[in-house]
Amino acid sequence: MRVEHLTKDYGAVLALDALTLEVGEGTTGLVGANGAGKSTLLKILLGLVPATGGRAEVLGHDVLTEGPEVRAKVGYLPEHDCLPPDVSASDFVVHMAMMSGLPRVAARERAAEVLRHVGLAEERYRPMGGYSTGMKQKAKLAQALAHDPRLVLLDEPTNGLDPAARDEMLGLVRRIGHDFGIAVIVTSHLLGELERVSDHVVVLDGGRLLRASRTDEFLDATGALLVEVLGDDAQARMASALATAGVPATVRGSMLSVDAASGTRDVRDVIRDTASDLGLGLVRIQADHRHLEDVFADAEPEPTSGRPAGRGAEHVGRHRGAEEVSDVRPE
Amino acid sequence: MSDPSEATPQGRSVIHDLGYRPYTGQRLGAGAIARSLVVTGFRNAFGLGRSGRSKVLPFVLLGLNLLPALIVGGVMAFGGLDRLPIGYAEYASTTQVLLGVFVASQAPVLFSRDLRHGTIALYLARPLRSGAYALARWASLLAATLVFLVLPIVILYAVALLTELDVSDQTREAGIALGLAVLLALSLAGVSGVIASWSTRRGFAVVATIALLVVANGIVTVVQGISGEEGGRPVVGEVAGLFSPYSLYRGLMAAWTDADAPTPPSTTGMELAYVGVLVALSALCVGLLVARYRREATS
Repeated sequence: MRVEHLTKDYGAVLALDALTLEVGEGTTGLVGANGAGKSTLLKILLGLVPATGGRAEVLGHDVLTEGPEVRAKVGYLPEHDCLPPDVSASDFVVHMAMMSGLPRVAARERAAEVLRHVGLAEERYRPMGGYSTGMKQKAKLAQALAHDPRLVLLDEPTNGLDPAARDEMLGLVRRIGHDFGIAVIVTSHLLGELERVSDHVVVLDGGRLLRASRTDEFLDATGALLVEVLGDDAQARMASALATAGVPATVRGSMLSVDAASGTRDVRDVIRDTASDLGLGLVRIQADHRHLEDVFADAEPEPTSGRPAGRGAEHVGRHRGAEEVSDVRPE
Repeated sequence: MSDPSEATPQGRSVIHDLGYRPYTGQRLGAGAIARSLVVTGFRNAFGLGRSGRSKVLPFVLLGLNLLPALIVGGVMAFGGLDRLPIGYAEYASTTQVLLGVFVASQAPVLFSRDLRHGTIALYLARPLRSGAYALARWASLLAATLVFLVLPIVILYAVALLTELDVSDQTREAGIALGLAVLLALSLAGVSGVIASWSTRRGFAVVATIALLVVANGIVTVVQGISGEEGGRPVVGEVAGLFSPYSLYRGLMAAWTDADAPTPPSTTGMELAYVGVLVALSALCVGLLVARYRREATS
């Protein structure tokens, strides 16, 4: 997928502002606040909405002139509800596969297979109106995969799911990208989710590219080690003992953050010996990675032009373990 | 693949999880996709492929619509009449309320449902263009309406032939009735489709369509009744007849067959105008449908 100087002007709102971007194989996370231009970008990529300026190419096809060819090879999971309540998932996925050009017999086989992959068992024969949100999302995912697309566009696939269903869906997204060999572009406003599933992350803000790179580059090791010890007043005793040994450590939550670059000896040995000397239980030593939210914290918003760029571009929530959501962007 | 008996040393078969298998088979073009959509839509209009409850209304209406034809068949068989008690074209005019309820209730199945539940986004994300989607939906409704209109004609024709009425007379009259049925189906499918596509609420679409068909027909009938009386001006009634699909059908029926109707078109020019209005109305509705879905795609 490649876009060059892509601009979409809705008149009152500039949804995309000369966006230039290239996305390759694997799973790509598209992050941005509501109104950052994610959905508009997906609609342009599907050849539904004409761009005001610039060009976009998907799987080697120009979206403006070869919309049907693009749509034959792309699967799409929309953000909102899109399932008729009085049809079973099985019938619906067969129908949708046929709408992508598969003959009836092949459509039946494909539907059975993708429904098995997404984990819809006997309930596939029931009308979808009675489905839970998690089952609906699975049915939506199944129809997006029914015609064996080369690329799937998943618009907020975890929206409205409980933590267990969210984990399952993220697992599926990862499998599509890694095991099925289908390129994935997945949008979310929850950074923690994309951190887990995507190989690349693209950050949009107000219709412009904030950053695009490999996820592991976003999450460079910071050079610090996180240490967890158990025992009476373990953290404070450990911190002071480490300081005495010439290794500065600071308390962070239930862990200690240790600067691995300091000292002459291997810091891990020092930590092990210190814990042993103090009689504390050493639970873990792990490298401290940055999180995607730090990227937002680092990125100073550029001064915007007079026009509003999207709606409410200041909230990018981070979601970890499905209980905390916080604003991380500086105002 | 090797002989399944060799799958294990004991000769038992095993199930292999092949993981995800890509599809390498045939992919059909837009024509085949549209055809498949028309067939599915046609089935859906009769509740087939949907829940059991959604089959009740269309099939009850179809059954009621066919009942008079079956009764005529019985009367002809045992009564020994020398002509059909009801004309082929007259039949639809007699059962127009059932027909109106059928198109009004089934047009939302094809047009409102996808918009209401957001399924339209999935269709538009597939190869078929929005215009082709609109045409396929309209074709499904047209086909369902035609089944509703043509089945009684077929039954009456079969009864006429079995009771040894004159074949050439019957064929000519049934042919005219078929032509009229196509004109009426075109306009009804168009009108009800447009209303259903602009209203995502099924109930509203049903009521609006029935109200439009019944009210327009009622007003036209009153005007035609008054102008057709002695001393009235029939030309007013003829012009009024242009304003409702049912009165257009009735007018042409009276002009082309033995059936009676108040103030039928008296000149060839007026007959052409009646046909022209029916065709133009259908074309306008199809245009509106295409525009409606094109707007939906780009919004």
